[in-house]
Amino acid sequence: MKKRAFLLFVLAALAASVSLASTSASPRDVLPFIADDYPKALAAARARSVPIFVEAWAPW
Amino acid sequence: MRAFVFTDPSLQRHAGQFVWLSINTERAENAPFLAKYPVQAWPSFFVIDPRKETVAIRWVGGATVPQLEKLLADGRRSVHAPERGVAEALARADRLYGGSKNAEAAEAYREALRQAPPGWPQYPRAVESLLYALARQHDAKGCARTAQEAYSKLAHTPSAANVAASGLDCSLDLPADDPDRAALISEFTRACRDLVANPPSYVAADDLSSVYQSLVGEREAAHDAEGKTQVLSDWALFLEGVAARAKSPEGRSAFDSHRLTAYLMLNAPERAIPMLDASERDFPDDYNPAARLAVAYKAMKRYDDALAASDRALAKAYGPRKILILNNRADIYAARGDSAAARRTIEEALRFAEAFPAGQRSDTQIASLKKKLEQMP
Repeated sequence: MKKRAFLLFVLAALAASVSLASTSASPRDVLPFIADDYPKALAAARARSVPIFVEAWAPW
Repeated sequence: MRAFVFTDPSLQRHAGQFVWLSINTERAENAPFLAKYPVQAWPSFFVIDPRKETVAIRWVGGATVPQLEKLLADGRRSVHAPERGVAEALARADRLYGGSKNAEAAEAYREALRQAPPGWPQYPRAVESLLYALARQHDAKGCARTAQEAYSKLAHTPSAANVAASGLDCSLDLPADDPDRAALISEFTRACRDLVANPPSYVAADDLSSVYQSLVGEREAAHDAEGKTQVLSDWALFLEGVAARAKSPEGRSAFDSHRLTAYLMLNAPERAIPMLDASERDFPDDYNPAARLAVAYKAMKRYDDALAASDRALAKAYGPRKILILNNRADIYAARGDSAAARRTIEEALRFAEAFPAGQRSDTQIASLKKKLEQMP
């Protein structure tokens, strides 16, 4: 239950972050991420018959 | 992962196998996505079948490069290949888990594990997903027992830290009169201590940080203030070492939030100021360093500095996170005795929270703000 505990503790009490994954670094250099456009990603995935990999993140 | 995993050049060979989508959950234009695919913790990863717009796989929390590669392989298999036997059972569990149906997913993962042959490659991911689903269901006993059964098989894998920490957290959540509680806590505490004493190279730093946090909880539950302070000191030292070895400002600042947590719990918020000043200089468009400075200065009772930092954060902030910054700002006003300003700030936060569309609007958060407002003078 560590993730739940961390979420509650940090967000509620400290207003810091739940995640170490959050930085301003862009992963796009290695993988061609589409930013914040699900319809565009869906259309591209259907056209190419490949799945969509989604990274759901927050800048904190 | 944005700083350490997605930047790994070895992932380039997977580039053509997926359409890659990053969703910033704070941005208003992503509310329809979030209404369709709820995000319960950050980061979360999904593999979506575009034909049916269904989630084939969900993964919550960080992952190492090998874990991510396994996830990608499982995702492709699940979308492209017809499943049979244990693979079909796992695919069913993954779909339920992907739809945040945690109770049904837990049962389905158990069924997949029952069918799994020895050495099943998907065993670590199935166990970690099952542990998270059980934790979300507040099934502390089921979670602790699952972690206990799995730990011996996963002790020398990247999943070790997550399984040990989840096992300890769940054991601590057991009722005080549970006959197994003490033995389970003791077993997982030993496993967690071993991990932080001899950190394996294949375990991610953020997972080890979570292990420290679980050990802090264990000392707290034992009412051992001195022992808790020692674990907190060790945690801070570990995080400082990881940050010092980071190869970029992004890599260093990725640990700011955990370090701030450790410093606040150590009653040493002043130790956070230099790192947060550096992050604010390195990332002038990012509201997080200023928001965290407001938290640290408030703890130091430097209220003018806290409000100035809060001003800087609010000037850049957007999305649901802004509510937390306003909430902290209200606490700063309250701490310096300005109850009228504190009340106005919570009212502002409430208006802001209520304006979010489905997918970003949190009824729990709105209820919490209303309750806070009712209790204010």
